[in-house]
Amino acid sequence: MPNNINDTNPERVKEILDVIMSFARLDFTKKTTLVGDDYMDAIGTGVNMLGEELESSTISLKEKEQLLKEIHHRVKNNLQIVSSLLNLQTENIVDKRYLDLIIESRNRINSMALVHEMLYSSKDLSKIEISEYIQRLSTGIQQSLSKIDSNIKFNFNIQPNLYFDIDYMIPIGLILNEIISNSLKYAFNGDAGSITIELNSNDINYNLSVKDDGIGFKENFDVKKDSNLGMQLIYMLSEQVDGKVEIEKNKGVSYLITIPK
Amino acid sequence: MNTLTPPENAIELSVFYTWMGGDGICRTKAKPFAEITLKEAKENSIAVSSFFTNKKFPLLIDSTEIKSMARDARQHFSTNGRDTKINSFAVIVKSPLSRVIGNFFMGLNKPKVPARLFDNEEDAIEWLKQYLQ
Repeated sequence: MPNNINDTNPERVKEILDVIMSFARLDFTKKTTLVGDDYMDAIGTGVNMLGEELESSTISLKEKEQLLKEIHHRVKNNLQIVSSLLNLQTENIVDKRYLDLIIESRNRINSMALVHEMLYSSKDLSKIEISEYIQRLSTGIQQSLSKIDSNIKFNFNIQPNLYFDIDYMIPIGLILNEIISNSLKYAFNGDAGSITIELNSNDINYNLSVKDDGIGFKENFDVKKDSNLGMQLIYMLSEQVDGKVEIEKNKGVSYLITIPK
Repeated sequence: MNTLTPPENAIELSVFYTWMGGDGICRTKAKPFAEITLKEAKENSIAVSSFFTNKKFPLLIDSTEIKSMARDARQHFSTNGRDTKINSFAVIVKSPLSRVIGNFFMGLNKPKVPARLFDNEEDAIEWLKQYLQ
């Protein structure tokens, strides 16, 4: 029995290479043929065993991905159930203050549900492209809060291919929900105007800007003293991502949130 | 020294011989060109466990003529997640093929009890003696 590494048979080398190529295509049906106990058989055995390990890891990875998808799907479904329950609750409420509170809560839940919905549809299940999220979120909030005949336009200027994971997406989604809701509720007396959302990044930060061209804050409005829950949430959630909030009051209201990378 | 020739009273299985040595070390020897699947691995474990009385014992495995060992068989032999009557094992590997199988087994399956590869019987027995109770 040849037991020398130099006694290599080109046919057997080719066969082992074919098996390696199959493994590279994640096809684990092929195995090298073992004919004896020489070095080529040892290499063939090693390749076969590596294939078994790779197959097992691939299956386990697929199962984990499936599980993660299922979890995001269920979280999204549960959040949507809560949102629907709140919707049902609104049918019996006539007091506008309570109605607004329920709609605000429902929109916050929807902003989180959308993150999970987009995560389970995304390729790697861990990150989502923020441009699509922002546009879908804005449309949802507008449908929920605007009057049917309102003419409020959204302008988006969002850097393409910016991906964020769930730790960033939930706070950013909630922050956007609060800012957009505030603008839609308070900025436009005549039900016409625009909200511009910009997001770009440099080497150090992400810069998120939301501007409306509405009537601005009331005279003597003090952001720190007179803030509602929505405004408090903007500050709290920005802190959660180590972000900094700047608010400008020139022709409407503009928020600039800087989030370190 | 050759203590790895199966005696007459050895248990003969489809691909193994298994017996208890006079020194308290259990032996199992793979038959030439043995292809070990989970079925053969389990068969072997039952035979090895049959030597248990009240003390766990070391096991010497001669895998020098083995041809292949399936992944689930390697996992079974690692003793992880199952009750075992052995407290250690040494595997003798000599040929390139048995060395590959042995190294895969030790590296990827991480046996629960102390385990080592040897290329000769004397060193393996010397190492196993420390686990005799």
